[in-house]
Amino acid sequence: MRFEKSWIIVRKEFSEFRKNKYILYSLFLMPIIMSVVLPVVYLVPISTFATPPADHPLELGINIVQEIQGGNQSNSSVENIRFHNTNIENVIANKCEFFNCTIVMSVVKNSNLTSSTITGSVVEHSNIQSSTTIDTNAPGSLFLGSESESEKYLLLIINSLLMFFVLIPAIIPTVIASYSFVGEKLNKSLEPLLATPTTDTELLAGKTLAIFIPSVLVTWISLLPAVIIVDLVTYPILGYYILPNMIWILGVFFVAPLFCILSVLVNVIVSARVSDVRTSQQIGSIVVLPAIAFFIVALAGVVVLNEFYMLLFGTAILIVDLIVFFISLRVFQREEILVKWK
Amino acid sequence: MIEAQHLGRVFDGTVAVEDVSFSIKDGEAFAFLGPNGAGKTTTVRMLCCLISATHGTGFIDGLDISEKNNHIKIRSMIGLLPENPGMYESLSAHRNLDFYARLYGVPEREREARISAMLKRLGIFDRRNDAVGKFSKGMKQKIAIARALMHEPSYIFLDEPTAALDPEAAITVRNFLLELKKEGRTIFLNTHNLDEAQRVCDRIGVLKTRLLATGAPDDLATRFFGRSTIVHLKVANPEFLPAIRNLPGVLDARLDDKNILLSLVDPVEQNPAIISALVLKGAQIEYVQEVKHGLEDIYLKLMGGSK
Repeated sequence: MRFEKSWIIVRKEFSEFRKNKYILYSLFLMPIIMSVVLPVVYLVPISTFATPPADHPLELGINIVQEIQGGNQSNSSVENIRFHNTNIENVIANKCEFFNCTIVMSVVKNSNLTSSTITGSVVEHSNIQSSTTIDTNAPGSLFLGSESESEKYLLLIINSLLMFFVLIPAIIPTVIASYSFVGEKLNKSLEPLLATPTTDTELLAGKTLAIFIPSVLVTWISLLPAVIIVDLVTYPILGYYILPNMIWILGVFFVAPLFCILSVLVNVIVSARVSDVRTSQQIGSIVVLPAIAFFIVALAGVVVLNEFYMLLFGTAILIVDLIVFFISLRVFQREEILVKWK
Repeated sequence: MIEAQHLGRVFDGTVAVEDVSFSIKDGEAFAFLGPNGAGKTTTVRMLCCLISATHGTGFIDGLDISEKNNHIKIRSMIGLLPENPGMYESLSAHRNLDFYARLYGVPEREREARISAMLKRLGIFDRRNDAVGKFSKGMKQKIAIARALMHEPSYIFLDEPTAALDPEAAITVRNFLLELKKEGRTIFLNTHNLDEAQRVCDRIGVLKTRLLATGAPDDLATRFFGRSTIVHLKVANPEFLPAIRNLPGVLDARLDDKNILLSLVDPVEQNPAIISALVLKGAQIEYVQEVKHGLEDIYLKLMGGSK
């Protein structure tokens, strides 16, 4: 394969893209929406109501007078008691300490809670350390060494933002490829192109690269504002810069380009069978479904969105890419294009 | 030389081209005539290595089109003007030609000069930076021709180059083809336009899935109609016919109004004897005329129609 021939096609495609307003819209507007608008819309409201992190625990003036080990405590009002491994339900507690306790439907004030699980309760002006809170409000409390509800939401939203960064390079090719392949077919400009001394592979590589390069490039460029916005908005709550992290790096630099290739190749196959740009875009869009499915599964907690699963997901897409590549090579042949492309 | 040897193509059981054989010498202009669906475009596509032949083969400059290894080399030697100009309409005329010049491997130092020369020759240099989408059909066709010639190919295939053009644009294109012919390029022309074929081409081939006939237009006329003479009389009389029917070299003689239509082996040889015989019979001859059969007559005869 002569790369210089493919590069001539890439440059010609770029010249055409610059003149096509729909391609320009998709190359500029979509990344702006996903890298600027969505992070702001999703993260700012949550961060406004989120509890800030704390380095030092609150001074609570607790004076322990009794210690309870194990057992159950329910339907009572308690003060200045230290609980260990106790199940607490429907209790009003003030100035107490809880270690490895399970607290349900209770009101806890001015207390220290350590390694406990708190469900359906209110924890007011207390230190919550290494504990899990479920459906619990914690006004004026500090979270020490654990994730607050708002932190959990933030992490969830940040992970869902990653989904968009995998989707951008899959969606943009559906627009560009439809014009590149179906447009060329409608314009009847394929035959003179096929009559040139180039191979089918050089033509396909040129067209694929012309779509791949801008799609991935705008994704990578739009990562920068997204990272800045996410970090600026979440730092006051999390106390650290969450992006970039390895999951995002794998998502944006490994999974996203593979998805982009898949999208281009699927669109080559779709273009062979349709004769309308809109139809090509609609059918080609199905390529985003696996990415959406993966992130829904991850965000629903079925699998943990970590480096391993990102690598696994990327590898699966790589295998699909290879299969689709060989199919598209069969579809993108002079004979097929001139005889069977409708 | 362009050569087809028993070339054939079947699409899903439908025979598009069957057993077509011909050869075109270097520097010759050859036209393929035939109705829509006759297989003209399919033949050109096979010869340009765009689609494969299901039967037979062809040769371009001695290179076998059925050998895949030859395809790049063959395509670099030919210029193809497809039925539709197929330009990149958002790009300028210059950018369109520059793209193809690069793909055809025109050296960088020659590229610009060649594009400018071609645009000047076709009279569109002043609009070289305009988007092709703004051009008329005729101008697009000119650029498409320029595109096919960017690499100065020895063999030029033109598929209906003047179809859908207004008469003025068609004349410009046709004159350009004549210039190419003068330059000694080998031209293969697919056309419906019989006049165009006759003006531009040395030989024609009539195709209707199978190749029905090939040859120079005059030779084909002689082959299918013989050579004919019309004798215009002042007064017609059926008794004149027996006097000339038996003369040597007369194949047929019949009366049509005041004219006698004669089919002859060689009019130059036989005309004096015929005229003498008619005068002896008392005929008053106004004038004698040779009948010329054009491509239209040949085409319609081959297609089974009538004028």
